[in-house]
Amino acid sequence: MNTILARHSSRGAHSSNPSSTPRSATTLGVRLGLALLLSFGALAEVALHSPGLPPSRMDDQGRLVEDWGAVGIRLTGEGLATDQGVTVTEVKLDGHIPAAQARQRLGSIACALTAFRAPVWPSGLDVLTVAVEETSGHASACTIALDLPANVRVGAKTVLQGGRPILALPATPRVTERTRDWGYRDDAVSLPGWARPEGACDPAFRNIRAGLGGVPIEYRFNVVPGAAFNVVLGFCESHWAQSGQRPVVCRLEGAAPQEIDPIARWGQHQPGAVLFAAKDANGDGCLDLAVLPRAGAPDLNPILNVIWIFPDGPPPALDRVIAGQSTIQALRHVDVGGDKDQSLHSAGLIEYELALPPNGRQELVFLVACPGSSAPRPDQTGWTVETLRRAASEVWRDWR
Amino acid sequence: MAAAGLGFSGQLMPALARQRRPAPDFVDPAALRPRPKVRIDAAFLEMPRPYWLGWPGTTYDLDRHQAEYRGRLRESCQRLGIDLYEESAPIQADAGVASLIQGVHQRQPDALLVILQHMGCWGWTERLARDARCPLLIFAPIGTSFTGHVAGISRRPGVHLISSLDWSAVEDGLRMIRAKRMFEESRILWIHGDKRNETVLDRLGAKIRATPRDTFNQLFDTMPVNEEVKDVASALRRRAKKVVEPNWQDCLNAARAYTTAKRLLADEQAHALSMDCLGMVGAKLVPTPPCAAWTLLQDEGITAGCEADLHGATSMMLTSYLLDRPGYMNDPVAETAKNLLIAAHCTSGTRLNGFTKPQAPYILRDHSESSLGVAVQVLWPVDTPISLIRFSNTNELIIDTGRVVSNVDTPPAGGCRTSIEIRMDRVEDARDVLGFHQVVTLGDHRRVVEGFCQLMGIRVVHSPEHSAPATA
Repeated sequence: MNTILARHSSRGAHSSNPSSTPRSATTLGVRLGLALLLSFGALAEVALHSPGLPPSRMDDQGRLVEDWGAVGIRLTGEGLATDQGVTVTEVKLDGHIPAAQARQRLGSIACALTAFRAPVWPSGLDVLTVAVEETSGHASACTIALDLPANVRVGAKTVLQGGRPILALPATPRVTERTRDWGYRDDAVSLPGWARPEGACDPAFRNIRAGLGGVPIEYRFNVVPGAAFNVVLGFCESHWAQSGQRPVVCRLEGAAPQEIDPIARWGQHQPGAVLFAAKDANGDGCLDLAVLPRAGAPDLNPILNVIWIFPDGPPPALDRVIAGQSTIQALRHVDVGGDKDQSLHSAGLIEYELALPPNGRQELVFLVACPGSSAPRPDQTGWTVETLRRAASEVWRDWR
Repeated sequence: MAAAGLGFSGQLMPALARQRRPAPDFVDPAALRPRPKVRIDAAFLEMPRPYWLGWPGTTYDLDRHQAEYRGRLRESCQRLGIDLYEESAPIQADAGVASLIQGVHQRQPDALLVILQHMGCWGWTERLARDARCPLLIFAPIGTSFTGHVAGISRRPGVHLISSLDWSAVEDGLRMIRAKRMFEESRILWIHGDKRNETVLDRLGAKIRATPRDTFNQLFDTMPVNEEVKDVASALRRRAKKVVEPNWQDCLNAARAYTTAKRLLADEQAHALSMDCLGMVGAKLVPTPPCAAWTLLQDEGITAGCEADLHGATSMMLTSYLLDRPGYMNDPVAETAKNLLIAAHCTSGTRLNGFTKPQAPYILRDHSESSLGVAVQVLWPVDTPISLIRFSNTNELIIDTGRVVSNVDTPPAGGCRTSIEIRMDRVEDARDVLGFHQVVTLGDHRRVVEGFCQLMGIRVVHSPEHSAPATA
């Protein structure tokens, strides 16, 4: 199996910047070996649109170009033929949905990217289907990697740019999971400077991560299997002034869950902290923590400001922790949502490995934010590929 | 056809409607309500006969009960306009369940209804919920389940379970499926701004056609004072308990707003609307706010929402499609001396008990904020239960219940013309009631609305029962 180069290696040749000029296939071929890009031999550029909504396009390299950047696909695999060029054409789905299709044949594997605009309220959503098909009658396998702008962050189910989800990922398990020794592993967003803590306190209280749309905030730390710790979570609520609005539930591995209402405990703009006796209870060498919305809460967007991990033993004095005077004793201090906060996924590379039986076919579907829209988190939407297509079909059928 | 064509006039003035031929451009309001094709598959699940011990018991007359339920099901489907496919024989084994699932996949009904006839059938319902690929209605007549059988599956998204002898609860389940289809077949005209486009709502499937605001007032300007307009204006005045501010011209304008809305809906193949009415009045683009016209449409089952509040409109559509009665979108006010919620707006349907039921008394007023046109003060029946419903978005719905305490007059109060005091159920302090522009509808429909939401995968939220203490 050939190795997909990290994004930085290929960016010069296959930039996610829509305005960049692609280099020649020969130059790229030298660098990538058998890694094959769908971005060569392009013939056309096709607009994607829906009645009354601003368009996006599939460019002549087969990339979907949106207001946030572009998404492309790279296909690699053992023994795949060299790139024979991509053909981008305009097609009609169901007879009347305008769509763009990029086709490429890589020896025995035929690959097609099909994109159409689903008229999802309020601003639409582009649906990108990647279909690979084995055509020689022999079992095969391939790897599909997404090519995305450098400034995105890969979450559990979505890809975000800033606070905007730009891509919803299929449920198919990803194969590349290079991870750091700690980091967030969620679909929440970082909001530096959001909080206005009053009084002397650790400066990390100023920053948060927020699970907009009710998504949990989740962190993982590599630890010695079975180890125990004193974990302190810091909160500072600066939006609500009244209690009961944004209670959260904290789940730390090895500790009993606790419900925290920062306003009820400490008040608006007041930094506060809660201690947990946590432990790698399942012995997998990871300590997991999550902050979730309390079911039925008026505000379902959980927040978290600071994490301290202290050694097991006598618990630290929380007033000193809040003041930042115990940070030096911490094994780990996380300024949640701050400059040094980080994703657990080190490279942010998104790859899928697909096994293709003789004459078999597999599909991956990505929901892509189009101008003015955000991609939905898969578990927070009722949309399916079928209903998105039906919506497009019905809107085009009746539009005049 | 004249009588059938004059929807509103036909209801209020049947004699007139019979005498007059409709104008060529008459829009029948009945044709504006979506009439989707709704298809239900149904099957009985039982154990091999004869029964011996175990519930429902040897004495349970299977043939008689199944004949009774088949009859009731056919009647309900006919009443609701649902096409019914019935499995001819009860299913008694795994193979039959597999065959049922296969048939459902082929026929692709809007829902599958299974009627349980033995406690041993519950394992099949799990399989059906997982594999049928459509909403599942389960009717378990009393005698076919314990709490343990229903506790889990009855709370699963995509499932509605009725453990009861009350057939009306089964019919409520059928209404849920019909409402789902009505949403899917609906187009909402969203009259605001200057853009024209069309999108579709998540989960509900309703299409949203954004239309520039000027479309309405420009069409209104061309709308003639024809016989229909005079009929509507006349009926509006005559049926009122009292007319306070509006004169005849105001009523004609209100009726023109009504015919304008119908024409727009028909031209756009739409079934509901929500309009930036306040903006239009503020810009003095129309001589009357549409409040009275919206009342007329609401009474005919056509959702007409205020202030271009899209989720206010979808909430009103829910009461219309699921409960067959108008909803009343309102501004919530806390009455702290009596710990009541006041729901106030300048438009409300009058057929509070249902579209085919008598009107509630109403007083014709002007629109209080502008002192223009015609608005209605609908007098809600005191000491009757109500439900407050509000889609926060299409993934979440707030529902609470309460009772009407009184109607609030303006003056002495300021604010909107229809105004009712509500004592909330299960909410300790009226200040804590969630939402804005909640839709009030007559009756306690909490269980039915919750059931619909579960079928649709919509999260249900209630206002907090207990107040959290405020902090400085």
